[in-house]
Amino acid sequence: MFNLSLLRQFSRLAICPATKLPISSRNIATTAAVQFKITDQLWAEPMKKKKKIDPAIVKAREERRRKKLEKQIRRLEKNARQLKPIDEMEVPLELLDNFNKRKRPQPKLTEEVIEARALLQKEWTRYKREEYMANVAQIDRIMGAQRRALDKLLEESEDLYNEAIMPDMQLIPYEVRGPVATPPIKGYASPDGEYIDVSKKWDN
Amino acid sequence: MLFKTFIQAEVNLCRRIFVRGLSTRSSWDIVTGVCVERLPVVTPPLNEMYKKYLDLQYTLEIEKSMKSDHEIRHENDKVQAELLKNESADVDIDAVSKITAQDFEDAANEELAQFKFASVETEADKKGDKTSLERCLQRHLVLVTPIKLGSDVKTLLPQGLWKEGETLRQTAERIVKEHCGPELKVQFLSNAPCGFYKYKYPSEVNGKIGAKVFFYYANYKSGKPSKTKADWLTRNELQQILPEKYNKSVKEFLIEESH
Repeated sequence: MFNLSLLRQFSRLAICPATKLPISSRNIATTAAVQFKITDQLWAEPMKKKKKIDPAIVKAREERRRKKLEKQIRRLEKNARQLKPIDEMEVPLELLDNFNKRKRPQPKLTEEVIEARALLQKEWTRYKREEYMANVAQIDRIMGAQRRALDKLLEESEDLYNEAIMPDMQLIPYEVRGPVATPPIKGYASPDGEYIDVSKKWDN
Repeated sequence: MLFKTFIQAEVNLCRRIFVRGLSTRSSWDIVTGVCVERLPVVTPPLNEMYKKYLDLQYTLEIEKSMKSDHEIRHENDKVQAELLKNESADVDIDAVSKITAQDFEDAANEELAQFKFASVETEADKKGDKTSLERCLQRHLVLVTPIKLGSDVKTLLPQGLWKEGETLRQTAERIVKEHCGPELKVQFLSNAPCGFYKYKYPSEVNGKIGAKVFFYYANYKSGKPSKTKADWLTRNELQQILPEKYNKSVKEFLIEESH
């Protein structure tokens, strides 16, 4: 213990800190080794002399920075107030003005009509439920058929099975065009409508 | 000793499974069939239930709506006409002389009446041409081609033997090309087969006792089959033309039509 403290005393003078040297003496103490580490002396440097600046310049510099920030804030605030209007979202004033004029007189519904409507609604719900159940059963059947086919393929060859269960990357992107209400007319030239673009420009 | 006999039994079992695996592989032909389907072009006809509910929805929609510009204009026209008839002093001559809403409506109706929508029943339907894609626009159509099986020719989905070294999907793509020519473009929907069918040959061919058919499903995209005579059949026609058991396997993976 003693020679360690002595070494530390001189470590300031040594180029290479002596404490880093491995102390090869074998520890023969029966108590547990103390795991304290002493940090090295850091090499200090003489303090620099503070530079003197004219206070007016400092003040001007500060002012300039503040003005710049203020300008930025002002610009942000100004833009925040100015939102791009969405014409489609606003109800035109002329519609609001004659709102009452546009109200449709409600027909007097008889008991029977109300009853018939309610019954039809119920019937429709039942019908849609049946349709849905049929669809689910159908999907189950198709998936079952595929499962069976895959099982048979696995019996036949494992390699082919492994190829078959790979995801099909050609499917993405997938585009499908649904059925239409009336068949397309062959060679039909759709009449070109004229249109004037009235949308306003909202560039800054 | 006990351990040894146990291991022996396991080894025997493994060998049996392995041998069986090998033997089944050699005694069945692997065949890929392709089900090319043209999806309906036009929506199916509405049934009674749909028609009734559609009517109700239309009436409800009108009841809940506000009056449109056109209706307001029509009402104004009526008021003006009334004033004119009574020879009231404050008739706005300009408003009367212009085209009334009723005139506009009549003109629009006339234009609509002149427009001819294409009929759902096409030329091919009238002639009964089954090779045309322009038939039965409201139904699913499946492509069938004459297939040579041994000595006789049957009308089945296009099919062909799997060759060593290609995946079943590649076989399916090759078969479409071989049977229908390169113009027919289809979109396969999966790498996996969607259906299965197995049949035995009347006598062994090259040591094979039969064929296992793996069906692949594809949607028609464009083009026309060129090489062989190919028919596009509806579900009912398929049922008539395909062998009974084969049709059952095919029906298993196809969407059922409700009309």
